[in-house]
Parts: sequence; C-alpha cells; structure tokens
Amino acid sequence: MASATEQRETDQVHEIGHEEYDPIGTAILIGIYFLILVLLWLFMYFVEFLGNGPTVVGALLTVVGLA
Amino acid sequence: MEVTRMSSTAGQTYLDQFPAEAKVIKAAFWSSFMALAIGGLLGLVQALHRTDVLRFIDSADYYTVLTAHGVLLAITFTIFFLVGIFTWAVTTSLDRGVVDIRFTWAWYIMMVVGTILVGVSILGGVVDAIPTNADVLFTFYAPLQAHPAFYVGLVLFVVGSWLAGADWFRTWWAWRKENPDERIPLPTFMALTTTLFWYLCTLGVALSILVFLLPWSLGIVDSVNPLLTRTLFWYFGHAVVYFWLMPAYMMWYIMLPKLSGGKLFSDPLARVVFVLFLLLSTPVGIHHQYLDPGIAEGYKFIAMTNTMFLLLPSLLTAFTVVASMEHGARQRGGTGYLGWLKALPWRDPVFTGMALAGLMFAAAGFSGMINAGMNINYLVHNTWWVVGHFHLTVGTAVALTFMAAAYWFIPQVTGKELWSRRLALGQVLVWFVGMTFMSNAMHRSGLFGMPRRTAEPQYQGFDFEPAVGTVGEINAQVALGAVLLTVALAMFLLNMVMTSFNDDSDSLPANTYAGTLSGPEDSPAVLDNLKLWTAIAVVLVIVGYTLPLASIVDSGGLFGPDIGGFQLAIETDPALVLESVREVMP
Repeated sequence: MASATEQRETDQVHEIGHEEYDPIGTAILIGIYFLILVLLWLFMYFVEFLGNGPTVVGALLTVVGLA
Repeated sequence: MEVTRMSSTAGQTYLDQFPAEAKVIKAAFWSSFMALAIGGLLGLVQALHRTDVLRFIDSADYYTVLTAHGVLLAITFTIFFLVGIFTWAVTTSLDRGVVDIRFTWAWYIMMVVGTILVGVSILGGVVDAIPTNADVLFTFYAPLQAHPAFYVGLVLFVVGSWLAGADWFRTWWAWRKENPDERIPLPTFMALTTTLFWYLCTLGVALSILVFLLPWSLGIVDSVNPLLTRTLFWYFGHAVVYFWLMPAYMMWYIMLPKLSGGKLFSDPLARVVFVLFLLLSTPVGIHHQYLDPGIAEGYKFIAMTNTMFLLLPSLLTAFTVVASMEHGARQRGGTGYLGWLKALPWRDPVFTGMALAGLMFAAAGFSGMINAGMNINYLVHNTWWVVGHFHLTVGTAVALTFMAAAYWFIPQVTGKELWSRRLALGQVLVWFVGMTFMSNAMHRSGLFGMPRRTAEPQYQGFDFEPAVGTVGEINAQVALGAVLLTVALAMFLLNMVMTSFNDDSDSLPANTYAGTLSGPEDSPAVLDNLKLWTAIAVVLVIVGYTLPLASIVDSGGLFGPDIGGFQLAIETDPALVLESVREVMP
C-alpha cells in the first residue's frame, strides 16, 4: 500500500489540461450503455406486454370512471 | 500529478493530521465491519435455506434472520461507515478538526447504544433467554409489531446520526468564520447536502415511530393505520438509499480520479448532482408503494415522474466519473477510443473495487428503471427481482465501494500498512463474481414470479415456469453466489484484522483527494446556497406528500380502523402460523 499513490504519480507520462482534454472514450462507453438500455427496454416489452395482460394501460377506463 | 493537498500538512496521513478524529473514525469503521460480518453471515444462512441447499434453522426463524440481515446491513453497516467517511471528508477538506471531540464521541456512542438495543431485540426472536421479539423485517410494517426496545434503539441510532450531522455543520460554521469568502470545499459540500436531505427524510420515520409505532408497541394506543405508517416509512425509505449511496458517490468523485492518475472532470457538475439529490431524494417514496391499495394512481404517477428525474444525477455521475478516469488513464499514457482502459491501475484493489462497484451500479440502473415504471413494477414488485436489484445497489455499489475504500482508509486512520494488497485485489474480484451469479439469478427468478421474503418458496400443486433455464439452476447460482460473497467477506475481514496487528508504518501515502480540471471557481455561487436548496426541497416534499397523506388519514383514520398488533413469535405458535399460511396458499 505504501507506495501505491506515489507509484502512480511517477506513472504519469504527461499532463493534460482542461482545454486539451476531450473525453471521447467516455462518450463511447456511455453510448454503449445507452444502447444496452434501449435493447433491454425493447426486451421488457416482450416480458411485460406479450407475456401478460396489460396492467395500468388496460385500467384507463377504470381510472377515469368509465368502466 | 497535482492533487489537492492540505497546505500545512502535505505528506502526512490522516492520523498525523487529526489523531483525535482518527480514533472516532476508526471506531465507526469497526462498528460498521462488525455489522457487516454478522449481517453477511446471516445472508448466507438465508440463501442456503431459501434455495433448500442447507436448512438448519426452523423456517419460522428465517424471518428473525432476515430482519437482522436487513437492519444490520442496510442501516448499521452503511451508516456507521458513512459517518466515518463524512467526518474524514469534512475535517480533511476544511483542514481543521471538529469543534468539540467529546460531542463527536457522544453521537458515536449514542449510535452504538441504539444498534445494541435493536440487535438484542431482534436476537430475542431466536434466543429464548431474551424476552423480546422484533421479527418485523427492515421495513417494520404494521401490523407486525416489535418489542418497544427495537423502536427505541432505532430512534437512538437516528438521533445519533442527526447529531453527527450537527457536528459537521458546526465544523463548517467554525471554518466559515475564518474563511468568509471561500467556496465550500467539494467534500464538505457533499457531506452537508446529504445531511440536509437526511434531516428532511428522517422526520417521516421519526413521526412514524414516536407518534404511532412506539406508543402502540407500549400499549398506550390500541391501533395504528398501517398504510399511514408504511407511507411514512417510505417517505424515509427511498431517501435512505441515497443516504447510503452518497458516501460511495463521494468516493467515486474525489478518490477514483486521483487513483486513476487524473483529476475530477468537473467540480460544478458534482455540485449540481448533490443539489439534485437534496431536492429529489424524498418526494419519490411512493414509488415503493405502487401496489399499495389506498393510494390513488394519480399520486403514484407524480412519484413516478419525480423518480424518473432522479435518473438525471446518476447519469451525470456516470459521465463525470468515467471522464475523470479517462483523464487519468490518458495522463498515464493511455491512447485510443477504448485502449485507455488498459492504462488504468487495475492492480490497485482500491481502484478496482470502486470501478467494479460502479459497473454493477450501471446494471442496477436498468433494473431500477424497471422498478420505477408503474406498470412493469406491478410485475416484479413482490418478487426476488427487487432483492436482486438492491443487492446490486446497496449490496455492491455501496458495499464494494466501502470495502475498497477501507483498504485506503484503515491505513490512513491507524497509521498501519495494509496487510495484503494481493488478498484485497482478490477479494474485490470474488465479491464481483459472487454478486454477478447471485443477483442475476434473483432478477431472472423475479421475472417468473418467485416471491421475496419467503422461507420456503415452493408450493404444493404449483411449479414456477422459467422462460429460460430451470428453478434448480437458478437456486444453484444463488447458493454459489452467496458462498462466494461470504468467502469475499471473510477475506476482507481477515485483511482488516491482520492490518490492525501490523506495525506502524511511516511510508503511507499522504491524506489527499483529487484535484479538479474545472474547479469551484467555474460554478455559479448559487450552488452553495444551502438555504435555497433546502427550501425548494421542503416545497417539493409538501407538494408530493400533502394530498396522499391527507387522503390516507381521511380514509383510514389517524390511528387506523382498529388494527391491533401481531407479534409473530410471542403471541402465536410459529408452527401454527406456517400451517395457516400453507392452507391459504394454493
């Protein structure tokens, strides 16, 4: 543990300032995450609506007092 | 690398800088670890019992074990660690000690006394010599009734945490007098905003206990309104998850960038995130009650909308924290669109533990969105899905971050070198793998309706039908995951115990946290106006809760329609209860 932080300080190859830093890798990772979320969201449609009867949507008439 | 250093104390550990505070923090961490050890072991007992791999307790006692597991891990482990981290954060970033160390010890001791009362009253459920009973689970829903000592213990624990918050505010006010024109340092800002929503949300649970449940348990009033006390519990119950999570967020914001070899991408964004949590943590609790009859769907819809807004600070965090890590990786020579990931310090257990915890939290983001949506929530609400979800959030995002942080903090507050970095690295990996098995299987079982809070989830004349795989395979994954998690827990505790027997070291890293690429000078001063944000948070709570609470009291009465208490193990023979449960189950 002792040298953990110091060792990392010597590991630094160069310093990147605020203006020159462009977090493109982060944008890619977040993009992949959103893609996964969208795919899982589509999958959810099959789990919820095709596997079972609709719940809140089907109760619309009851909510507004028409049925 | 430029990291923020305390001007007068560069190169020193926390113990060198604040020896008196370090003792309290060390005590808080050990209280946290003890809760983790007991609560974690009970988790293994439950997992093996439920999956029918090994049943050595009576199924009626499962609920005592489940209560202890929930309370010790969700409340005691997390909050003791939190008070340790926040005390560190406030003193380190303000570069001054607490105002009065006796006050600091007083709130710590109050929390310990509260924990002992709660723990012993739960233990009474399985130890005949203790005449108490509190098989009420972490949520203590009426009409399940606990011994008064359980409620008194909870009150003492929460009041202790209030006093801890007062301690941090006093320290900040003292600093403010000496530095009237300076911005609040980021770690202190995080601790203070979190404390503010903790005060706001715990008012609900304090009201629930002091006005309703404790007098009812003492026999002063005969009845309670279960929906009212449930609603007051969840008024607190969702904010408490952010209360656990905020110290983990703090670690991701101010430690991960430093460990990665870089700087925090944006101090202003971090402040915005914590302000959003102050505003939105509390007026969302009704999303835990989508299935409760007696609350109109319109109110539930408002809670759902608020909840979806809460995704915003978490997604902002995902961006800021990953961008800070990427900054570190590129400063260390990382290149390419994703090649920089290889330049991160994966051999450092503190870094790897926190990074894996963050990864698990991203997965929890999806199951959380499912939970938050009203219609799909109906499908998974009382199933093992939800248990899978919170084992990713509090059980990994929070717990794994805390364990990884401990590998840095325990040397800081004891002055002793960590016993084994290799064991620590193995430990965070085993936890990650164990939780992958257990949580994934729990989520899947929830999709085909396997219930939670059940000792024996098997029924006569009924079989669960998984879309993929089998129930046996899912149970095997849960049991395997639970065993791996227990092994990881043992590895962690062994490392902590052996570290405390280590010799003092004078080559420990200095007590520092990450510098920033874009600092507080880039953020609008209004972000530090805590009074303004607190006032808006109070208004949002009033908007979100006045009508539902009025409606609940109007329809069920303040003290309910004659709802007497029901103590599972004292007034009823557990065998009879189980028998009657079996009769009503198809």
